[in-house]
Amino acid sequence: MRRILIDSEKCLGCKNCSIACMQSHRGEDGVAGLNLSSQELESRNTVLMNSKKQYKPLFCRHCSKPGCAKSCMSGAMVKNPETGLVEYDYEKCAACFMCVMNCPFGVLKPDRASGTYVVKCDFCADKGSNPECVKNCPTGAIKVEEVTTV
Amino acid sequence: MSQRFSCVTCASADKPLERFIGDLPMETSFHRVESQEIKCGFGLDGVCCRLCANGPCRITPDSPKGVCGANADTIVGRNFLRAVAAGSGCYIHVIENTARNLKSTALAKGELKGSKALDKLCAMLGIDVSGQDIYAKALKVADAVLDDLYKPLFEKMTLTENLAYKPRFDRWQELGILPGGAKSEIVAGLVKTSTNLNSDPVDMLLHCLRLGISTGLYGLTLTNLLNDVILGEPEIRIAPVGLRVIDPEYINIMLTGHQHSMIAYLQEYITSDAAIQQAKAAGAKGFKLVGCTCVGQDLQVRGAHCTAFYDGHAGNNFTSEAILATGAIDAVITEFNCTLPGIEPICDALQIKQICIDTIAKKANADVVDYSFDKRPEATVQIFNEVAAAYKARRKDVELRLLPEHGNDSTLTGLSESSLKGFLGDTWMPLIELIAGGQIKGLAAVVGCSNLTGEGHDVLTVKLTEELIKKDILVLTAGCSSGGIENCGLMSPDAAELAGPNLKAVCQKLGIPPVLNFGPCLAIGRLEIIAGEIAQALNIDIPQLPLVLSAPQWLEEQALADGAFGLALGLPLHLGLPPFVTGSPIAVQVLCKDMIELTGGQVLINGDAAESANLLEHIIIQKRKGLNLE
Repeated sequence: MRRILIDSEKCLGCKNCSIACMQSHRGEDGVAGLNLSSQELESRNTVLMNSKKQYKPLFCRHCSKPGCAKSCMSGAMVKNPETGLVEYDYEKCAACFMCVMNCPFGVLKPDRASGTYVVKCDFCADKGSNPECVKNCPTGAIKVEEVTTV
Repeated sequence: MSQRFSCVTCASADKPLERFIGDLPMETSFHRVESQEIKCGFGLDGVCCRLCANGPCRITPDSPKGVCGANADTIVGRNFLRAVAAGSGCYIHVIENTARNLKSTALAKGELKGSKALDKLCAMLGIDVSGQDIYAKALKVADAVLDDLYKPLFEKMTLTENLAYKPRFDRWQELGILPGGAKSEIVAGLVKTSTNLNSDPVDMLLHCLRLGISTGLYGLTLTNLLNDVILGEPEIRIAPVGLRVIDPEYINIMLTGHQHSMIAYLQEYITSDAAIQQAKAAGAKGFKLVGCTCVGQDLQVRGAHCTAFYDGHAGNNFTSEAILATGAIDAVITEFNCTLPGIEPICDALQIKQICIDTIAKKANADVVDYSFDKRPEATVQIFNEVAAAYKARRKDVELRLLPEHGNDSTLTGLSESSLKGFLGDTWMPLIELIAGGQIKGLAAVVGCSNLTGEGHDVLTVKLTEELIKKDILVLTAGCSSGGIENCGLMSPDAAELAGPNLKAVCQKLGIPPVLNFGPCLAIGRLEIIAGEIAQALNIDIPQLPLVLSAPQWLEEQALADGAFGLALGLPLHLGLPPFVTGSPIAVQVLCKDMIELTGGQVLINGDAAESANLLEHIIIQKRKGLNLE
């Protein structure tokens, strides 16, 4: 099972992970032309700062016991037992947002523009080996590693 | 050397150079590309602002304005204008020094090699010099240029009207973008973009056009023409290029910079008895200059006047580290950019003396020599003493890594607006007829820098050039793009084989390559003169010509000022990478679309050679249709 592991001490708050995420999910190649004023763009990750003024990158953990999947009544949010990823099916989603309420990290959110679906990390399933956020982190604060737990 | 010395080097269009750098035991820019691969997306989009202590502020969908309220358009506008103003400052520094050198030479009644060039220039600038000697004429020209550069913002420069093609001048006047004093325009650009002053992106983009005009006509065009007066006019000839030009039996001085007039005295001194005796005493055959960056291209185009001390141009900005790594260079004399900081550890490791003759480009471990006009004789002796001492001290220790097979001996050089017109029989009609008849579909100026992004060193530049000539488009070059293209052989008459059938036939008939090298980036000014003269012969404006401009691998702020000139001239301007503006919908709209209505120009961004060539060909065909040539 692969997971994004976070070493928050290495994070410099550049938010390249957020740009990479928006870029990865907009359907066009190249960062150039990414309109960062557009409300259509949303990042599935973010960088927060704690009370000690330390950067805290926040990513979907694809949890072992995912509160989102557990609370999903329509079957849109499902833990894939083979990959360990929590997958989201837009077609099945009833937009009740119980997953948003039950995410222990506060990562999940309704989409900004229409409020009709959930903005959820898909591990850049169609982009090759590693998610774009990890590929574009300049400091190595986030990396993908094999883990044994589900 | 760096502890993070990467084994992965970036690609180059120049394969022998790529292999040479890949095998070096020292770090170069090519080695650092990998470790800098991940770029900041906010920087790329131009939406990071650090103009005040509330910043750095970055625009995202969740934070669409900086703390002060500046949106993406304002932030991009400020960042872009700042960059263009800095780039303009570089070129205006160059023309200021060049005009001062012309003035000092005239006052000292020193050697001026281009008396015909001076007469043409006086006529062009409308300076009455009847009955006056060469020194009086030169003094008047230099004073007229300097007077304009130092004018206040509210006073228009007077030579602009003489230098610009009339329909362009008229359009600039209508748009209210005629520049005041060139230095004042730069200061105004910096002031406008400081904290909480200008917030109007369109006003700032129009200011970029003003800077483009002052940069282009003064920094580019006039620098060439004044240098021609001091150092002689370019003459068309075949010359060697590449690392092969380095002869280890000489004491070799590599030059970097953009100010040929700065070394006028030094280059003459090389062939003096004193210098030759000094070299022989040190165990060498003599001193030689090795060309690198744009000042090397200046020597290359004026090579007919430099045969005794200059063998040819070795390479462009990102070839400089490799040139030093051959071990056969004994000193670097720097008078401006593009002088990479990366040469410093190589100079240290190989005991190469670094000397700086313009404090503006002071390198960290270079000696500064006061090289003002009056002190040049003593300073030159001092420089030669130090270089000879470096040669003696280092050559016994330093291993040579020469690459005599690199480059070629058959590159056509010496192109200028005058030499090309002379070649055509003192008229542009032969070229115009070839374009009208379709043997030459159009002209593409592939200019500007070299960079290591995208696919690698000169990769897009060379591929795009190959695609364009295949489409029967004649390519004209100026800048570090020339250095890459020449080392890849496209400026040799044999390269006609690579052109489309019509262009190939023209090249073979005339014995010319399909890519014509006008030399340094400054020579973009020469291309502007050619465009103006051809337009005049056809009684049309420059934007109507089947002429496109591309800076496929632009690198630096100076290139952005050049680009602003291209847009002011009304030319389609292709860039391989966007100039940090794409975060602003207004900037993109103005540069890529609305500019057509303003000046006739347009920015096109595409990093793919084949696609870019198709885009540029399409524009050329549209312009041909506009002239009823299709």
